[in-house]
Amino acid sequence: MGKPTHLSKADIEAFGREIDAVRDEVMNDLGERDARYIRNILKTQRYSEVAGRALLMAGFLPPAWLGGVGLLSLSKILENMEIGHNVMHGQWDWMNDPSIDSATYDWDNTCPAHQWKHSHNYMHHTFTNIVDLDRDVGYGILRMSEDQAWRPQHLAQPLTAATLATFFQWGVALHDLEVERLGKDKTFKEAAVQAREIWAKARKQVLKDYVLFPALAGPMFAPVLAGNITANLNRNLWSFLIIFCGHFTDEVEMFDVEETRDETRGQWYLRQLLGSSNLTGSVPFHILSGHLSYQIEHHLFPDMPSHRYREVAPKIQEICERYGLNYNTGPLTKQFGGVVKRILRMSLPHRRKRNTLEPTTSTDAPVYAKAA
Amino acid sequence: MNPVVKKVLGSSVVGALTSPLSVDDYLALIDGRLSLSEPRGRVIHAVRQTPDSVTLYIEPNDNWQGHRPGQHVLLGVDLDGVRHSRCFSVASAPDQKTLEITVKRNGDGRVSNYLVDHAARGQLVYLSPAEGDFYPEPGTAQPALLLSAGSGITPVMSVLRHWIANDRLRDVVFVHYARTRTDMIYAAELEALAQRQHGLRVETVFTADGGDRINEASLRRLVPDLATRETWLCGPAGFMDVADPLVAAASEWPLHREQFAATRREAAHGEGSVRFLKSDIAASGESGSLLEVAEGAGLKPNYGCRMGICHACKCRVAEGSVRDLRTNRVRDVRDSDIQLCIHAAAGDVAVEL
Repeated sequence: MGKPTHLSKADIEAFGREIDAVRDEVMNDLGERDARYIRNILKTQRYSEVAGRALLMAGFLPPAWLGGVGLLSLSKILENMEIGHNVMHGQWDWMNDPSIDSATYDWDNTCPAHQWKHSHNYMHHTFTNIVDLDRDVGYGILRMSEDQAWRPQHLAQPLTAATLATFFQWGVALHDLEVERLGKDKTFKEAAVQAREIWAKARKQVLKDYVLFPALAGPMFAPVLAGNITANLNRNLWSFLIIFCGHFTDEVEMFDVEETRDETRGQWYLRQLLGSSNLTGSVPFHILSGHLSYQIEHHLFPDMPSHRYREVAPKIQEICERYGLNYNTGPLTKQFGGVVKRILRMSLPHRRKRNTLEPTTSTDAPVYAKAA
Repeated sequence: MNPVVKKVLGSSVVGALTSPLSVDDYLALIDGRLSLSEPRGRVIHAVRQTPDSVTLYIEPNDNWQGHRPGQHVLLGVDLDGVRHSRCFSVASAPDQKTLEITVKRNGDGRVSNYLVDHAARGQLVYLSPAEGDFYPEPGTAQPALLLSAGSGITPVMSVLRHWIANDRLRDVVFVHYARTRTDMIYAAELEALAQRQHGLRVETVFTADGGDRINEASLRRLVPDLATRETWLCGPAGFMDVADPLVAAASEWPLHREQFAATRREAAHGEGSVRFLKSDIAASGESGSLLEVAEGAGLKPNYGCRMGICHACKCRVAEGSVRDLRTNRVRDVRDSDIQLCIHAAAGDVAVEL
């Protein structure tokens, strides 16, 4: 059925066709320019990693340590955000290059690639912001929507969120275990298999960053270890920041299962639009965010090469304007402010939720019609 | 690469230091040809022997395991951002250090046409290990007939060069069909060899300059003692279709065919309809191979050589009747993996795509 809006069914389908046309135009135009872009990113990531790790070896000098951490953080952020996440979406599969193919690429993250492709590409991107289906709504530990029942532990969720930010990649790694389903429709045995896979993957990063490279540095063991920990921490905080701004800003919409039953393509596009929020900023900022600063475009076209989001965004925004739909965008400070507000607001029980006699309606800001 | 360096880079410690990326990912920063395991090469010389061909001299890296004379290789190049791979025969003898591959312009063939027009020194190429069973065993008996047409000359050249390099040429007749003298690759080399090699007789037929296309009478005239010869045959589909039965009827000795240059019949028409189950699309099966039908329906299945060699396009068919475009044989399949590029629908087909 789809969420009611001021648009008629025919309007929504026409909207969907316009979005499709934007997609087709880009996908039929992919070529050398795109290949050059990703190859430059790959080179930048690898050079900055090599340089960063080399500088850390001279980490007894504070400027070298800081420079090393900076470069290694840059490399890790590029690898997870602009390369790993996007490659695993299949954005570069058309190049037929096995080194950046979604089927075989593995990223520098404690989460195994194939579990990520299940929890993220399938669950999150298909059921975006549908409470109880999209497990990215609060990741099973945070309450991000009124439609999620309040429990006393949510009082501590500002602290939970800060902890999640610090250890973000570990949260991502454990995400597909779906602990809340354990003992219900998921067996402990299934989870144990997954847990073994996670450890097999995670220990490679632990070994590399916390044992081998420090050991290789000999007397520089401590500065290298500290540098690697800091670089992983920086990447965790940065990804948390960007990702939370993508779906949990103030005006973003949540959906319930009933609203989204038997969605058409147009309605699916509409949900992706209303469930996502963008960040404004410079080109380097967009690249470092893996172009998730164009979360709306990413959710409309998950397998479009990311740097193209910059080009299609004005077209999408123009279409939204014509249909009177909210295109949620703003600078990082404003959007992250909204995220913080939501985390705080949802940590408290909501008045309406207590009254079980009244039909529950979403109290999220009604944003279907921007002008309305 | 220095073997010691290669051993160190291939060790599990270095593997752990680069994980989850591969050592190759970092070697690519230095030179795209470097790899611990994948055969790759660089064009060091590109020569245009004829107006519509290019001969590439390729220096492979040390992962290239060599080839047997007559074998082919899957050669990949990046065109407009996309890695395309096609099959080509190696024309050089195994003893030569550089790999020689001659490519002829080929209708809509993107890879061939790109190489003919643009290949130059420095071009990076991705290689597969050499494949194919079109090669003479070390003790292969002569007298032999080498029979080729058009670009089918390349694997046969490799066999001939191998025999000459190893001083094993005894009694060989080389019959080659080309459109004109200017179109014929390796014309000058063959003429020179015919002059100086004892035991080699070369007959070239230029079909656009009055020469007969291959037929029983002309073949008997060119090779009167065909009955005593082992034959090595390679050429376009139409040529192979005629030559194969003629030779088989005239000689008891083995007939070796190199099929790939002749993989596809000219018209690859299917019939019936194709259903793509996962994407829930139905399409007419008439527009060509199942791969082409899938692409026409907007799907993007994996593919490589598009000629039945590399198996990259293998895909499960739930049920249906398919025609093998190489042999025109029709068969019913159920839950089996088939190569989409060399099969067309021969009735209704359900593909898991």
